Amino acid sequence: MKKFLSLVKLLFVQQYRTKPTEGKKRRGGTIATYIILAVCFTPMLISIAIAMYGVGKISQGLEGGGTNICAMLIFISQGAVLLFGIPTLISNVFTVKDADKLLFLPIRSSTIFAAKLTVAYLNEVITTAVMLVFMLLPFGIGYSAPVGFYFLLLLALVLIPMLPMLLGSIIAVPMSALITKIGKNGVVKTILQVLMFAIIMGAYMFAMYEFGFIGGSEEGDPTDMAQMLLDKLQGMGAMMKYVHSDYTLAAAMLGSTFSVVIVNLLISVAENALLVALVIAMSLPFYHRMLTTSVEGVGGRSRRKAAKVTLEVKNKGVVKELIFTDLKRVMRESQMGFQCIMSLIMLPLMVVVFYFCFNISGEGDQSIVEMFKGQALYQGIAPIIFLSYMSLLGMSSNVLGIYPISRENKAIYLVKSLPVSFNKYLLAKVILATAVMVISDFVMCVLIVALFGVKWYFGLAMWFAMAALGFGGMCITTLIDLKSPKLGWTNFNQSLKNAKNSWMALLVAFVVSLVLGTISGVCLLGWYLTNTSWYMLLIMWVLIIGASVGFAAVSYKIMTKNAQRHFDNIEP
Amino acid sequence: MIRLTNVSKTYAKSTVKAVEDLTLEIKDGEIFGFLGPNGAGKSTTIKMITGILSPDSGVIEVDGINIAENPIAAKSLIGFVPDNHETYETLKGIEYLNFIGTMYNIPSELLKQRVSEYAEMFGLTDALPNMISSYSHGMKQKLMVIAALIHEPKVWILDEPLTGLDPQSAFQLKQLMRKHAEQGNTVFFSSHVIDVVEKVCDRIGIINHGKLVTVDTLDNIRQDENVSLESLFLTITADGTDSVK
Repeated sequence: MKKFLSLVKLLFVQQYRTKPTEGKKRRGGTIATYIILAVCFTPMLISIAIAMYGVGKISQGLEGGGTNICAMLIFISQGAVLLFGIPTLISNVFTVKDADKLLFLPIRSSTIFAAKLTVAYLNEVITTAVMLVFMLLPFGIGYSAPVGFYFLLLLALVLIPMLPMLLGSIIAVPMSALITKIGKNGVVKTILQVLMFAIIMGAYMFAMYEFGFIGGSEEGDPTDMAQMLLDKLQGMGAMMKYVHSDYTLAAAMLGSTFSVVIVNLLISVAENALLVALVIAMSLPFYHRMLTTSVEGVGGRSRRKAAKVTLEVKNKGVVKELIFTDLKRVMRESQMGFQCIMSLIMLPLMVVVFYFCFNISGEGDQSIVEMFKGQALYQGIAPIIFLSYMSLLGMSSNVLGIYPISRENKAIYLVKSLPVSFNKYLLAKVILATAVMVISDFVMCVLIVALFGVKWYFGLAMWFAMAALGFGGMCITTLIDLKSPKLGWTNFNQSLKNAKNSWMALLVAFVVSLVLGTISGVCLLGWYLTNTSWYMLLIMWVLIIGASVGFAAVSYKIMTKNAQRHFDNIEP
Repeated sequence: MIRLTNVSKTYAKSTVKAVEDLTLEIKDGEIFGFLGPNGAGKSTTIKMITGILSPDSGVIEVDGINIAENPIAAKSLIGFVPDNHETYETLKGIEYLNFIGTMYNIPSELLKQRVSEYAEMFGLTDALPNMISSYSHGMKQKLMVIAALIHEPKVWILDEPLTGLDPQSAFQLKQLMRKHAEQGNTVFFSSHVIDVVEKVCDRIGIINHGKLVTVDTLDNIRQDENVSLESLFLTITADGTDSVK
């Protein structure tokens, strides 16, 4: 038991510990980040709490409905616990990376497994606590729940993560098996991750649509909103008898007599114990298999593969080779690849989300988009707004451009020892980052033309301007990263903690958007005053594209002028 | 030929000189062994010769080319095996060699021929289509050695090159080093394995606390024929920089 507890403490503390060398400055940055996150998320959590209070209030009037709805809320909490807990479950229990550090110790492998499972469970308890505070507690207050409800919240904290643990294991076991099967193929792993994200995102959008948060024509009155939510919950709540452990827990929490509370509580505890037994029965053999694989390897696979492949050697030219080598490395490193693909698809996805949001029917059955399209100034203003949006988000979210040097990590010595002009090396970095953006921008422009009815030639002009702005922005962000690269990380997320780069990139993008806004503002005023003469729009786009190309040229010049000095100062 | 003249280096995050006023010349046709305890300044010296670090003062020339003034030309002459194996882990072995070959402007046909030759020599042919991250320590070392030799550089700078190599590959590399020196080229060889240095090198330099303590042929350093290089090394590095000259 002592060994088990020591191991749990070690594994649990390790995942939250920062490097001692990072010092006060870094800690200050981390605290600032948490404050910003708290400022962003607190209003959302408070809104949920208010809505849950409203749900509780309305549930009072329902005959027997309170238990169903409470069970439903427990189930929703478990959904969040599952969503946030599954990465920890996979990385803690089903990905065996530390076998060589633990197996030589006099501890049984089943004890190691139990410790890892406990750490995953403790992480889920943390998410559960948040959900209880902002969902179940306000519901109970609104419902005027008996005193027992509040005591049993503590037991709920312990029991609620059990079902997500089981569901997580059901998802994680085949996923981990698949990832092990894929082996070292980072590209497939990355695609798999992106697909998983797309499925989760799709499910989320579907849920939002189902609840009427996007689309539809409902007004945003808080009382109606709570009633609507209640109707949805009640409808789904009827299904809750099938999730019996949640139903009995809810019945115990809201039970009015001692016998009802005790009977339901015992049933719920027994059912949750069964869930734990199922988790262990399913996970332990798989963990042992993964342990064997990690120690002994997958066996003979690489040798078979080697026999089939012929060695292909070709000199492609320095810049081309730098670009393609960098691309391969990015795509095969799962965290970097994921970030890269996400930055590629996220912005076009946002355009689609905007379309759905603005496609809500207003009065007279005309959507907001349709109403805008009918305005005389639409073709002048809409492309400029989209261009500003693209430049602002595109430049600040492209990890290839924000962390071009940091991603070299400890292998930076190799770059420094090669007989290659550093300017060529930088050019390759900027071209790769810009190429990713150009593809993303093209898709966005097509979507904007197709969904928002912007004329195709404005779409084309936006794309040209965006390509130049992207190149210029990448030059500046590359220089910023070069000045203080975050080298020596063991996983890419550590490098991403260097938040300064993102903020600086955002600042650059903001300044660029401001300049664009000023140019277009003056021209649009002229356009308006000249009774929407087409030549004013022509002048505006010529100026915008000219300014963008100028920005790209100046940025490239600044980068190449200062880069060598900063590069020489890097001491690997 | 490698020539260092009054070279000094202090790292940005430190106040201690990692290398202090180092003057050293390694001639053509010579295998030079560079010895020193951990933190003595060996790796810093090597990093400055290869252009990874810039010296604060002094001049470094590789085959008469000042590396600070003409880094590309100087680096083209060097083949470097680092002491760590930090490389592009997500590339396949063959992709890494292709990358290195392109960086050194080796024509495709020649590159193909040399890859086959060296991979065969070090027994790495079967592993080349696999990802470097799947390589063992020794396989990575072999890959680094092949990558360093593939452009047939005039100057070899090898930092602990035998670490992790199997006996056959270690023997091959030592043979190659001798052959390379006999052809009038330079081999700068750093190691902690004193026996190997004793057997392979023509001349030896010992560095301690950033200063070159001694540099000469093994026989001249030893003076007394009965003293092993190991005990000599321990005496020199234990007593500080000025005890033996």
